[in-house]
Amino acid sequence: MKQKLLKYWKQSYEDWNVIFREELRNIFRDSGVLIFFILVPLAYPLLYSFIYTNEVVREVPVAVVDADRSATSRDYLRRTDATADIRIAAYCANMEEARELLKHREVYGIIYIPSDFTSRLSRGEQSYVSLFSDMSGMLYYKAVLTSNTNVSLDMNARIKVARAGNTTQEQDKVTEHPIAYEEVSLYNPQNGFAAFLIPAVLMLILQQTLLLGVGISAGTAREHNAFRNLLPVSRHYTGLLRIVLGKSWAYLLVYIPISVYVLGVVPRLFRLNQIGAPHDIALFALPYLLACIFFAMTVSVLVRHRETCIMLIVFSSIPLLFLSGVSWPGSALPAFWKGFSYFFPSTFGVNGFLKINNMGGELTSVRTEWTVLWAQAIVYFLTTCLVYRNSIIASRRRFIARYRKLKARKKA
Amino acid sequence: MKSLSPLLLRELRRMASDPVYWFCMVLAPLFCYVFFTSMMASGLPDDMPLGVVDNDRTTTSRQLVRNLDAFQQTRVAACYPSVSDARRAVQRGDIYGFYYIPEGTTRKAQRQEVPTVSFYTNYSYLVAGSLLYRDMRMMSELVSGAATRTVLYAKGATEKQAMAYLQPVVTDMHAINNPWLNYNVYLSNTLLPGMLMLFIFMVTVYGIGTEIKQGTGRNWYMTAGGSMLRALAGKLLPQLAVFLLMGTLCMVHLYGVLKFPCHCGLPVMIGIMSLFILAAQGLGVLMIAALPTLRMGLSFASLWGVISFSISGMSYPVMAMHPALQGLAWLFPLRHYFLLYVNCALDGYEVMNAWPYVAALAGFALLPLCLLGRLKNVLLNYKYLP
Repeated sequence: MKQKLLKYWKQSYEDWNVIFREELRNIFRDSGVLIFFILVPLAYPLLYSFIYTNEVVREVPVAVVDADRSATSRDYLRRTDATADIRIAAYCANMEEARELLKHREVYGIIYIPSDFTSRLSRGEQSYVSLFSDMSGMLYYKAVLTSNTNVSLDMNARIKVARAGNTTQEQDKVTEHPIAYEEVSLYNPQNGFAAFLIPAVLMLILQQTLLLGVGISAGTAREHNAFRNLLPVSRHYTGLLRIVLGKSWAYLLVYIPISVYVLGVVPRLFRLNQIGAPHDIALFALPYLLACIFFAMTVSVLVRHRETCIMLIVFSSIPLLFLSGVSWPGSALPAFWKGFSYFFPSTFGVNGFLKINNMGGELTSVRTEWTVLWAQAIVYFLTTCLVYRNSIIASRRRFIARYRKLKARKKA
Repeated sequence: MKSLSPLLLRELRRMASDPVYWFCMVLAPLFCYVFFTSMMASGLPDDMPLGVVDNDRTTTSRQLVRNLDAFQQTRVAACYPSVSDARRAVQRGDIYGFYYIPEGTTRKAQRQEVPTVSFYTNYSYLVAGSLLYRDMRMMSELVSGAATRTVLYAKGATEKQAMAYLQPVVTDMHAINNPWLNYNVYLSNTLLPGMLMLFIFMVTVYGIGTEIKQGTGRNWYMTAGGSMLRALAGKLLPQLAVFLLMGTLCMVHLYGVLKFPCHCGLPVMIGIMSLFILAAQGLGVLMIAALPTLRMGLSFASLWGVISFSISGMSYPVMAMHPALQGLAWLFPLRHYFLLYVNCALDGYEVMNAWPYVAALAGFALLPLCLLGRLKNVLLNYKYLP
């Protein structure tokens, strides 16, 4: 009895080993898989980070129509020109001229100072500065609005102080702001684009390349094996657990160094936020990788041909990025889509990674995500076993049918 | 001229028998249309969760919190006993930021000791952070103003006088043609055509690539009577018909159903969309001609298609990118489509104002004519290597 058990374990181990090595060999022999397992994770993050590396838009060109032409209006304009956000590219005689520049996309905004700007101020009335912004990009709007708000508030404070007729500096301070305020940008002090988008893209790249690579290798298997089977018929490919674990181990082994590069090296190269503890990231990445691997293996049974999976999976990256709630806030996601997003490891992976890597959270701050990822890993492991089991049974049936057919023909 | 019908029939049969075509030409684009526009249906995210740390606990501070909650985009989700607790809530993702009113704020304000309140915004979520920042900053200005206003009213100033004293210079912002700052208008107008373009790239590459892979290229070429131009027309016309339909559907959905700003009228936008579809097909032909294995061609298509979204400048302006990328952006049809959409639909200028982009799209559409020789060579002599 004991001997039998020992033999069983030895056999299982040997099978597992064979499947594991075979899968590794498949990965490294197939240039199609290599593109998605190695090349894309290596190159894509660099390309993306390069696009967004300037983080913010500076010196947006704007046109100015100064109908007032007074010392005060020129002072206002000098101060706006001095802000980092905008640059005065043209002084126009009238709005018509400014609009023409806007039309030709030479400027992205207009500052209009009406002719009664100073006289109203002198009369002790409110003066208006009109701002116009091109809406092809929210960042233009933000640049025009931020710079002018800052300048006008600053100017208001000085006008107030001048009018108050105070005698001490302390009084001036109270006049400027009876209650002062302080703004603090958390976890992305430059309010940059790269710092907010790239971490999400990095996590997503891991899931998408796994889906693609595993899908391609499944497609290849189907194209090579007899009867378009997912698994080869061989002595070693018998135990279900051995097959699933053997293959997934191979993917995991490849993806551990890839993850270290994508999650550890790329943010450092582009000086993105990286304030999480490395062991927390590692502990978080493990269930994420497992969930992705088993998710990919489950999905891969749908793939009949090598290339189909590229067509089925690539497009999903964009919706998945939005589903993760990084750009469009998760709190504003309609309930249906929120529920839909729970199917994908990336939703939790992206948020968890952001919380640890960007916001310096600990594993406890991502407890929900971490638990869900483990749950997903288990569920998708079970579904993988299920679909592989069906696939094995189907392939055996086909073999038996074929065998009977041949036998019948021989008899005849 | 010999009739194209056997070629078209051959192509239609191929398309009907392969579910991948159905998925990539009809199902997935429709899904994307519905997905993006329904996800951002509210236009601007409302009621985003914000935290408050109120250590002052006076009527004034409570009033401030209530006012903050009354903003459309802000919802005060929770009050925290300390800044550390609020920070942890930010790290958990419960709130996108918090407002901190330290102990003694009201007392100090009354004694004219200039207390400081602060607000913390999590810019890891840029959109949520920026919108909440706007509300919190406005609130802070109002608080300060309210204190002075009370004093002014007490001294007998009228409201007009008080306002002129509090805010002598007022900025009056006009967001041209998208006054609601509607994110659905801002993003969906380019995301939807971008998704369609990605599918056009892939289907074009797939259509020609499968001929090479399955070794049916010679048969295809012979059906066309030995003319590469006719072969290509026979292949691309049925696909074009489906994509034109999908493109029109997209435009009708955006400008007819959702009523997004469209100053040039629907027909002009459908025209631009059609040109864009032709351009995407042209580039697709280039992809498979340049890398005549199906998987390499598809990888090329995926790379170009996905990068398009970033490099088109729809969210992050091209002018802020590296100069090399600014030049490279010209090689992406979505960039030209985006600029044409802004020019015509959003801003309502005549198409000729943006003629370089029309020319660029036309250039992409004419690309296949330069590649006929190369394609023929590939079809007849290329051996597929798995």
